[in-house]
Amino acid sequence: MIEFDDVSFRYDAGTPWILRDVCLRIPEGEFTLVVGTTGSGKSTLLRAINGLVPHFTGGEFLGDVRVHGRSIRITPPRELADVVGYVPQDPMSGFVTDTVEEELAYAMEGLGVAPTTMRRRVEETLDLLGLDDVRVRPLVALSGGQRQRVAIGAAMASHPRVLILDEPTSALDPGAAEEVLASLQRIVHDLGVTAVIAEHRLERVVQYVDRVLVLEPGGVREGIPQVMMTDAPIAPPVVELGRLAGWNPLPLTIRDARREAEPLRRILVGRSSQRPHPPVGVRRATMDSVDAAYGRTPALRGVDIEVRGGQVLAVMGRNGAGKSTLLSLLAGMITPTTGHVQVDGVDPSRLEGPELVRHVGLVPQNPTDLLECATVADECRLSDRDARVLAGTTRALLALLAPDVRDDTHPRDLSAGQQVSLVLAIILASRPPLVVLDEPTRGLDYPTKSRLAEHLRDLASQGHAVVIATHDVELVAEVADTVLILADGEVVAHGPTSEVVTSSPMFAPQVTKIMSPGIWLTVADVESALAEERRA
Amino acid sequence: MSHAIALRPSTTVALVVSSAVGLLAFLWPFLITPGSQLASQSSIVPWLFALVMVLVLAITFSEFIHARIDAKAIALLGILAAIITALRPLGAGLAGIEPIWVILILGARAMGPAFGFVLGTVSLAASAIITGGVGPWLPFQMIAAGWVGLGAGLLPRMAGRREVLLLAGYAVGACIAYGFVMNLWFWPFATSLPPQLAFAPGAGVVVNLEHWWRFTITTSLGFDIPRAALTAILILIAGRPILDALHRAARRARFQPQPMVGAS
Amino acid sequence: MTATAIAPDTIVGTARLGRWTHPGAWWLWSLLLAVTASRTTNPLFLILLICVLALVVHRRERPGGRTFTFFLRIAAVIVVIRVLAQMLLGGAWGDTVIATLPSITLPVWAAGLRLGGPVVLEVILAGFYDGLRLAAIILCIGAANALASPRRLLKSLPSALYEFGVSIVIALTFAPQLVHDIERVRTSRRLRGRATRGPRAFAGAALPVLHSALDQSIELAAAMDARGYGRMGTAHARERRFVVALIGVAVIAGAIGLFGLMAAQVPAVLSWSLAAGALGAAAGALVLASRHRNRTVYRPDPWGRSEWIVVASGALTLVISVLTTALSPLAMNPPTDPPTWPSLPIGALLALVSAGCVGYLSTSRPEETP
Repeated sequence: MIEFDDVSFRYDAGTPWILRDVCLRIPEGEFTLVVGTTGSGKSTLLRAINGLVPHFTGGEFLGDVRVHGRSIRITPPRELADVVGYVPQDPMSGFVTDTVEEELAYAMEGLGVAPTTMRRRVEETLDLLGLDDVRVRPLVALSGGQRQRVAIGAAMASHPRVLILDEPTSALDPGAAEEVLASLQRIVHDLGVTAVIAEHRLERVVQYVDRVLVLEPGGVREGIPQVMMTDAPIAPPVVELGRLAGWNPLPLTIRDARREAEPLRRILVGRSSQRPHPPVGVRRATMDSVDAAYGRTPALRGVDIEVRGGQVLAVMGRNGAGKSTLLSLLAGMITPTTGHVQVDGVDPSRLEGPELVRHVGLVPQNPTDLLECATVADECRLSDRDARVLAGTTRALLALLAPDVRDDTHPRDLSAGQQVSLVLAIILASRPPLVVLDEPTRGLDYPTKSRLAEHLRDLASQGHAVVIATHDVELVAEVADTVLILADGEVVAHGPTSEVVTSSPMFAPQVTKIMSPGIWLTVADVESALAEERRA
Repeated sequence: MSHAIALRPSTTVALVVSSAVGLLAFLWPFLITPGSQLASQSSIVPWLFALVMVLVLAITFSEFIHARIDAKAIALLGILAAIITALRPLGAGLAGIEPIWVILILGARAMGPAFGFVLGTVSLAASAIITGGVGPWLPFQMIAAGWVGLGAGLLPRMAGRREVLLLAGYAVGACIAYGFVMNLWFWPFATSLPPQLAFAPGAGVVVNLEHWWRFTITTSLGFDIPRAALTAILILIAGRPILDALHRAARRARFQPQPMVGAS
Repeated sequence: MTATAIAPDTIVGTARLGRWTHPGAWWLWSLLLAVTASRTTNPLFLILLICVLALVVHRRERPGGRTFTFFLRIAAVIVVIRVLAQMLLGGAWGDTVIATLPSITLPVWAAGLRLGGPVVLEVILAGFYDGLRLAAIILCIGAANALASPRRLLKSLPSALYEFGVSIVIALTFAPQLVHDIERVRTSRRLRGRATRGPRAFAGAALPVLHSALDQSIELAAAMDARGYGRMGTAHARERRFVVALIGVAVIAGAIGLFGLMAAQVPAVLSWSLAAGALGAAAGALVLASRHRNRTVYRPDPWGRSEWIVVASGALTLVISVLTTALSPLAMNPPTDPPTWPSLPIGALLALVSAGCVGYLSTSRPEETP
């Protein structure tokens, strides 16, 4: 049972309040989802539950939070570790030991639990999270989903009553995200743990939760998902479709939505998502029977692709299927073992830096890898010099992509979306005809994602060839006109979006699953088709 | 700006005592008299003093822990020690090419003298584990590196270009001093030396000092001067951005956060 | 250090049957062998001892260790330098001249040494024996490095030093990741039009890696705090006073004892007992400080039969070699003037066998890294 009593918090006097007069009651055993745009204070709210705010972060804190009767004003986080388990956003950054078993036992060692009890609890946790076959592996050798589950297990091993998770599925592909959420379900339902989770990818989570907290500038609202979703500022596609079609009660799962969608499907029979055919622009990049390897391990086999100007190609696949390898080949960062890669007719791996940026630009998975200055303004000036363009080009591009970024901010203090925008501006300064992005939507909320999608569409309409590697199916549905699916280093599907994503349940967006057998990709498509139907 | 690890009276005393014992353990060739026990059983001296140093360092650490070290300080300590560990194999022992001192000195400067001492000891220990150099020399390397960090943390407050120059100057002195001190550890056991350079237990302080000085000039300076030069040059080139990064980390970490205000 | 009655590692169905020997046992074993090596200059014995060390390391080394070859190189360098130094600087006492090098006398400011001159076998042999002994001691330490997993040794650290163990574990865990990160960032910087080769590229890649490492340390600290790091346990003021008192006793007794050991007039017994008492008091303070930390260790390395066997073999080696030296001192420390072919007494052989038998211990090893 978690109670917030008039909680207000800010980091420094004079800065705006992050939480203001928050009053909440979260009953025991509930699975609660915290929703809000970037910067709305989700992480702060979560960290206030286990005392990291304010004991760890410092700052001005008014009010009190009580967890199972314990006040966090007077209890530091380490004393709450037996009641509250915390799973950080990036599990690797929270790992203190180097193997799975030791990580699970770490919290218990600190609590002085007897060795036989520790042993038993570690075994139980391994079973609960399905980690038995990786129990002795070093943590660096695990996949993203396994690491997330180890982080959950490490927090669960001391049998806390409350579990808080900060964006647990943001870096995971759909399959791994399903496993993590299923484990969480098990924990909540079988063990009666109170779980509080902050997540941007609502479409994955909203059907599992009992309660939704919406953080807005005006305050916090809470309620059951069906009610909160009717007017929440951000909502998954299934909810948006429901709002559009006026379904009541609002369905949250694909199954419920399909039942309600029967009349809608009948109205729209014979129509489908209208996507303009990609204009046949100049061929910008080709890969010809390419095999590639990382060291000794083969990563890609027999890949043939062609990307033309004006086209947006999405590369999808499980984590480890070879998406990043493919992108690295296009950017010339690695060379193929057989076959050719050509960008604008030249081999990108032979190009030196200053030449390279004029042909291809890559936004890497960690955008901060490319940032090195102390302020945004310095970064933009440096970028102008590197790209040999007019001073101020990068800053102007950044103002288009992310208007709310101030000149004197440290680049690493920017939000994830702002960092992606900054790096994208840097890349675009030299106007490369081929623009490549590796997982750009990690950690982005819906509004930022749709802004990014808009910019990518603009780039395509200006003649750039855009390649994105992602497992965000909703983004792909919105922005891509061709999709390539990789599995185990080989191409298993390649074709127009409406064909590829509709034929694979793993990579189909929500609207597709709800409206099948019709070919529909996004809510906007359905909306415009309905409008046409009404006019007709 | 608050220090990562606060210096309390108990920890200050522990530092002073351990430094005194360390000095004793290094300077024993000059303090020994001919008929004493240690002079006659010189083969066990390195092991005896190694054991003494290990216990002294252990007690010092336990005092620091008793005075409470923040999770942030330990994490920062671990990460900076990781950087030093990753850098240590780089020179491959060639003639004093050791980039680790840059991080140690700058980290100690940004985080305070107590942190600097602890960083020196922990990073030498961790890097010795990875490079496989654990032996009776390790406690001495640890405390000597701890002194380098301690000194860097105690330097007067300055800003801007002068700070970088001050640190580069300190680096030259500290690297050469480290070399001298580790040389001093090794010197009594170097039995292959000609008599004008070797340790002479019976000969008194002045003579031994002369011998040691000649020994240092002929051997150790070849390592110490490149080490000092490399460190000073690296600090002059990259000191400002590295210090800025460390200061930013210290600011974001908010060591010793302010007490909460406001009504409950 | 009690042998566990239950065998917690033999859970059926896991890959953990068998266990690693406690690292402390290996260190004790190698220290005992180092003491053995330091008491003799018999080159046959020393060379065979080195072979025994290599054999044990080969049979029982934890995977991924190349430390012993690294130490072998160092040992070889030590021997070579020693012999060379003797050749150049060793003087000319003795009768058997092998060769004559040209002689240079350095000026007075460079210590007035005389380099070169006649190369005498006795001198060379003395240098060789001495270098070999030092090499053997270094290789005992190298064997300990190769056989004992430092991470498991860190787990055996007393609880009073737990936080330092944590920081070392963090350093060991993140160091390889940092090397990875630098590689990744270095190649990524090409995307901004930067060079990827040369020291500038390396330096330019270092700063983003430093920044993200520092940011990561704060996340790590938050996770540690949230998992209960830093619980001090129940400490009584009285126990703390005991600890401080013990430390005080250790410091004072140690100071007096050390001065006594370094001065000629103080009786040996007094100095040694004061020094021993000081060390004991210091160890006692650590034990006492550890007791109230209220920490437990998950699957600690038990100190069982195999550990005692390892330590016993080292002790046996030392004892046999001491006896052999007492019985036949000339064999164990052969003179170089006149040079004689060294012989290996039976006792020395027995000592070597005792040291080497641990290579064939029956404890099965698990497959994964410790």
